[in-house]
Amino acid sequence: MIDFVQNTVDGIMFGSSYALLAIGFTIVFGVLRRINLAFGASIMLGAYAGTWLHVHYQVNVLVVALTTLVCTVLAGIYVERLCFRAIRRDAALASMVSSFVIWMQLEEAAVHLLPERTYAFPSFFVAGSFELGPFLFRGEQTTMLVLAALMVGALHLLLRHTRFGLALRAVSESPRAAAYMGIDTAWVMLCAFALVSLVGGVAGFAILATDEQITPFFGLWATFKGLIAMMLGGMGSLPGAVLGGLLLGVIEAHAQWYLGNEYKDLSAYLLLFAMLVLRPGGILGQRIHGREALAFRRV
Amino acid sequence: MDDYVITVLSNIGMISFVALSAYLLLLTGVISFGQQAYFGLGAYAAGAATAMLLLPIWAGILIGACVAGLMAALVGALTLRLRGLYFSISTLAFAEMVRLVLLIVEVQVEVDGELVGPAGAEGFHDIRWMFERDISLGEFMLLIYALLALVLVALLLIERSRLGSIFRMLGSDDLLADMQGLNVVGYRVLAAGLAGVLAGIGGALYAHFTTYVEPQFFNVMLGVHALAYGLIGGLGTAFGPLIGVAIDVGFLEAVRFIQGYRMIVFGGLVALLLIFMPRGLLDEERVHRLKARFRRRGDAHAAGS
Amino acid sequence: MLRVRDLVSSYGKLDVLRGISLDAAEGRITCLLGPNGAGKTTTLFTIAGILSARSGSVLLNGEDLTRLPAPKVVSRGIALVPENRLVFPRMNVEENLRAGAYARRASAAEIAADIADLYRRFPRLEARRDQFAGTLSGGEQQMLAIARGLMARPRILLMDEPSVGLAPLIVDEIFRIIQELNAEGVTILLVEQNARMALTVAHKFYLIEGGEITFSGSPGELEEDEVIRRAYLGAQKE
Repeated sequence: MIDFVQNTVDGIMFGSSYALLAIGFTIVFGVLRRINLAFGASIMLGAYAGTWLHVHYQVNVLVVALTTLVCTVLAGIYVERLCFRAIRRDAALASMVSSFVIWMQLEEAAVHLLPERTYAFPSFFVAGSFELGPFLFRGEQTTMLVLAALMVGALHLLLRHTRFGLALRAVSESPRAAAYMGIDTAWVMLCAFALVSLVGGVAGFAILATDEQITPFFGLWATFKGLIAMMLGGMGSLPGAVLGGLLLGVIEAHAQWYLGNEYKDLSAYLLLFAMLVLRPGGILGQRIHGREALAFRRV
Repeated sequence: MDDYVITVLSNIGMISFVALSAYLLLLTGVISFGQQAYFGLGAYAAGAATAMLLLPIWAGILIGACVAGLMAALVGALTLRLRGLYFSISTLAFAEMVRLVLLIVEVQVEVDGELVGPAGAEGFHDIRWMFERDISLGEFMLLIYALLALVLVALLLIERSRLGSIFRMLGSDDLLADMQGLNVVGYRVLAAGLAGVLAGIGGALYAHFTTYVEPQFFNVMLGVHALAYGLIGGLGTAFGPLIGVAIDVGFLEAVRFIQGYRMIVFGGLVALLLIFMPRGLLDEERVHRLKARFRRRGDAHAAGS
Repeated sequence: MLRVRDLVSSYGKLDVLRGISLDAAEGRITCLLGPNGAGKTTTLFTIAGILSARSGSVLLNGEDLTRLPAPKVVSRGIALVPENRLVFPRMNVEENLRAGAYARRASAAEIAADIADLYRRFPRLEARRDQFAGTLSGGEQQMLAIARGLMARPRILLMDEPSVGLAPLIVDEIFRIIQELNAEGVTILLVEQNARMALTVAHKFYLIEGGEITFSGSPGELEEDEVIRRAYLGAQKE
């Protein structure tokens, strides 16, 4: 029982970073009705740029964080211009494939920057480890959870209570009607990309600082965890993304503990597949499933 | 031809099966990220048939194709309700499940005093049908292309037939197909099964060409590449995916000076291509115009003679 | 007020304007009537800057808006109430209204005051202020779309087929609202296929057929049956 609770706690803590990645996918999907497969790769390139400074100039961890964020946002804008803005509105498939080849491109660029298989990533945590009854709360994970909660709170405020948030939600609901209100939809889409890149950059930095290392597989990993978490929660829904991320974290923690390391990813995919077959809209957002499906039907 | 050239050409041929598999599903309006699963299942099943059960190669390929096809049809039936991105992600989830299960599965039998069979993460080694019969890489390449030609002819025939137009109708509008009194469910499962068979044949050949398979080879990169090939080459004809494969594997492999920068160049080129031709080089419109031109020339020829 | 001169534009392959000229006078309801595909919506979209004109001009109180993109046009004082309402279905009524004021860059207090005014004008919207717009009835959605348009504080309100898809009783109500708004001083350019209803509110009307204005005048200048026939079918070409 104690193990179960401890696993659940660990899962939620790590799942909070999945939630941030899922938010990145869900916001872009909301605004564009498209999937940005290059999301993980742009975070990876940003993190590689930060690591590069760290390796060659031993800059401190805050500079690494800042570089990661700035470069992730720049990579995100590059992806938006090339794979989404430039491609015709009705060509959703072309956008997706384009973001895939740009993923490969960014990944190779990152590997040219730092060709070894693994690099140390500076660690960063504010909270120390502490015990609460029989349970252990590790410092870096607590930091991640707090960071994620702050990000989600900030995003919520941004989306609900600012002019930009209103515009972003209006574009997600109906780009046409938003344009009639005088909202510059193209600008909103670009800002949405910059925003999710920022969120992704924070998530990436937090994850890497916890792992204290970075490998070229990070892009793939981040894209998949984010996609799975989004689908589990329900596409286009912010609470869904958070819930999906936490659920994914918990499932993986339990599977790893009770079944072993090789079952960790397998159980996540099994859950996703079962969810899609039995309840395609995810935990939240069953109602919108039909509409999204329609929107995506013409590939 | 040296072995390097043969290997590149054979790879083009074998990957083409996966590309065609993804293309067939694209025709019916769904995007699969997971055709590599059937490539892998085909490879393992065919390998098991020849290396563990000591069956002849044709039986191996047949078994590989059947196992992959049946599995694909089953998954197709399970995911029937799903459309768009939901379908795509379900194919991805299934493919990763297959890969991760194969990383765990260990079933080995003793053949000639040696253990043969899938060995988890180690992969499935010693599928030595080619070596035992002293078949050269070149000869095997001919087999690959013979089968590819066969499959291609079959696909082109399907495209022209009623079945082809039904597939395309499913792609453009389910509802319309439904109203025409078509068994939409049945045709979707059929398309999924056929696509599985195509990928399975590719996998079966691959297992015997390289003599070993490991789950890592058919990760999602293979599947998304297969999808990209169809889109690069064009969605208008079954030749499209082959052009895509040839451009990626062939052309870029050949141009040595971009080694190491291959994805940077290829990625940029494809991204630019998609801006101007969002349905690929040979899209429906261009294929239509080309056909019209050929027909006109043919007519003129007939009239002249 | 609004002066459109020799406007040439196109929307898709069929809907083509071949030089439209029309005026909408301040404080009046001007109607543009015509059959489907005659260019009614294209005219509105081109005025609103959603489509760009190939030639011709759009002037609002003497200011040339022809080359401005849609966001600029809205902030100059032209608001569009689109066909089929197009409310934001998963935003609540109040958020829909806020979205209408997007182009104004007004202070929160100003916007809150305008929303309060509109709630007095449309009590049914106030009753549903926290409800998702997608859950409103067709008539309520149309009211919301009109109110959302007014939130931009436009000098002229362009309305595209407000009667489409509504029950006759609701249509009556919507047209009563249009008339009341006009009495309160709102200038309106109304596009309609329902010519009979439109003629009851119009001060002036234009007939558009095949991308050209074929008649302009006030109601009564042309026999009503003739207007209705041409608004549905277009002029019979001899």
